[in-house]
Amino acid sequence: MNIISFLNILLPFGYAVAVYAYGKAFFADTPWAKSSKRWILLSVIGTHIVYLAARTTAFSHPPATTVYEVLTLLAFTTSAAYYVIESRTGNRETGYFILNIPFFFQLVSSLFIKDLLEVPEILRSNYFGFHVTAALAGYSAITLSAVYGFLYLMLYHEIKQTRFGAVYRKLPSLENLERMSVMAIWLAFFFLAAAMLAGVVWLPQAFSDFSYADPKLIGTVFIWLLYGAALAARRSTRWKGRKMMIVAISGFVISIFSLTAVNMLLSGFHRFN
Amino acid sequence: MNLLCLSISHHTAPVEVRERLWLSPEEIVKTLPETLRLGCSEAVLFSTCNRTELYAVTDGRLPHESLIRELIKQKNAGSVVHESHFSVYRGPEAAGHLFRVASGIESMVLGDVQILMQVKEGYQLAVNAGTAGFFLHHLFPSAFHTGKRSRTETTIGTGAVSVGYAAVELAERIFENLRKKTALVIGAGETAKLTAKHLRGKNIGSLTITNRTQNRADQLARVLECSTIPFDRFRESLADADIVIASVRVDTHILTADDVARALEHRHTGALFLVDIGVPRNIDPAAGKLENVFLYDIDTLTAMVDENVHKRRAQIPAVERIVADELHSLELWHASLQSTPTIQALTAMMETIRKGEVEKNINRFGEKDRELVELVTKRIVNKILHTPIAYMRNGHDAGPTERLLSVNVIRRIFGLDHDNAKRDDDA
Repeated sequence: MNIISFLNILLPFGYAVAVYAYGKAFFADTPWAKSSKRWILLSVIGTHIVYLAARTTAFSHPPATTVYEVLTLLAFTTSAAYYVIESRTGNRETGYFILNIPFFFQLVSSLFIKDLLEVPEILRSNYFGFHVTAALAGYSAITLSAVYGFLYLMLYHEIKQTRFGAVYRKLPSLENLERMSVMAIWLAFFFLAAAMLAGVVWLPQAFSDFSYADPKLIGTVFIWLLYGAALAARRSTRWKGRKMMIVAISGFVISIFSLTAVNMLLSGFHRFN
Repeated sequence: MNLLCLSISHHTAPVEVRERLWLSPEEIVKTLPETLRLGCSEAVLFSTCNRTELYAVTDGRLPHESLIRELIKQKNAGSVVHESHFSVYRGPEAAGHLFRVASGIESMVLGDVQILMQVKEGYQLAVNAGTAGFFLHHLFPSAFHTGKRSRTETTIGTGAVSVGYAAVELAERIFENLRKKTALVIGAGETAKLTAKHLRGKNIGSLTITNRTQNRADQLARVLECSTIPFDRFRESLADADIVIASVRVDTHILTADDVARALEHRHTGALFLVDIGVPRNIDPAAGKLENVFLYDIDTLTAMVDENVHKRRAQIPAVERIVADELHSLELWHASLQSTPTIQALTAMMETIRKGEVEKNINRFGEKDRELVELVTKRIVNKILHTPIAYMRNGHDAGPTERLLSVNVIRRIFGLDHDNAKRDDDA
């Protein structure tokens, strides 16, 4: 068994352990879980970096040429974005709700991923690697902002309805959840901007059938504008709290539609095969 | 364990009695040496609004009545406080009582977190006064450990158990940092005052008080070191407030839903938290339906408090298990204090016998065998002593009572107490 196969098997287990540790810390206040969950996550992220680097080196292309390669990249960017937000905000209680997503992505990826040595030359480009990684980091941040938005709405309704259950007792404050969601939106805005910039520079050279009317490009621009408008509105008006969280969740739903339905139902140069 | 505890608390005496026996730190420092003068070898005394307790190490012969009389005399409270107002605990029961007090399960507010700090302060006074000795230096840290375990391993101290604190706890679930928030307190009554105090305790960024009687608002503002605004202008500052506590006696709502909606239009920050602890209600309930407005009335807060008290009560058995566990460790430690001198006395006695017999009979052996006799007799004595000493040192499987009993049996079998008494008489 080579290193890539070994890490491919190891990673879903690593994410499962991280989810278990964050879950034990959240629901049962288990001391070992509280003290070690962050280190476990950091180890998994480190292992994932080694795995992605090993794949890129071994197959001479960025790991973004198939749906299953994209899923492992998404698992990595989601957990890394979560780690950044956890470090910036100092809040470590929401990991269980977030890390289930990379665990699921990595599990599916590990089960079905294939080692492709022969890929179109265009997919070996570094521009392509940057474009896809930035786009996926943006979508991961969108996912995080939606999860935080969803947790915000759960807590908002518990407090409004005076139901004081586990969500009330364990989750961070409403303001804290909103801050984390907005931070994720900023990350999404930044990464999507980078992905679009790289795309506009590189795609016309790489694809002869490139079109600015590409559905995925339009969808991404729409999401980017939506988030940009929401962030601007938040700064200048009373777009705070519940309204902002609804924007976060709406952006996620539109992104999912753009990534899946548009990719599967509409034709164009801009799709994974 | 010659530990004695005298306790006067809300369980044994009404407030008019307890207040007469409340001692300031200065009075405690003055009283402690008096307890030693009466015959205690060590003493710790602490006093809170709900209890005054004396822990003393005695020789077992000192009657507790003389200590009670001394406490009453110190406060000149003989006309109000009587011996019957005190609970008296001795030995492990006294230690167990201290552990329960430190855990908060003896407190009037179940799971009270302040009591542990107050017990620590009492201990520190005794340390400074030089009246805490070897035993109390072990007992009180064990009590602090018990209190800490109770609060970390159970939820005895979680959940607000007063209306004012419940309001502050709710605010903490909405806002990330109260240091950056502004609170407006409408009213200067007792509940408003307590809630404002809790907010101050949480370092609220800015606190403003308004009241129909400006004089009372000024008085409260001086206590809480905050500002006031005239009652007829408080609506103007509503847009700047993040938290509004309303507690005045009025017939109509002093804040309508329209007032709140207007304030929201001028706000640049997020949620508005309204607490209505007035009866009849001060704030129109329709205000609670507005987006990003969280409104709670006295019934909701009281229900929260009741639920938290119920949850804390359910934790008492878990805390009692921690107390029993820590008490067991204390008794083992205490039993080990008994076994060490017994081991020393037993070894010394056997060595005396061995030496005596060797000296008596040494001339029967040739020069070259004498060294061997020393060696062999020492080996025999060591082998005889090995099992009882090992048991006294390592008998952790047995409980402290059994260990103490075993130590006493060994002392009797080998006549160690008789031997010591004889030596004392000789001296």
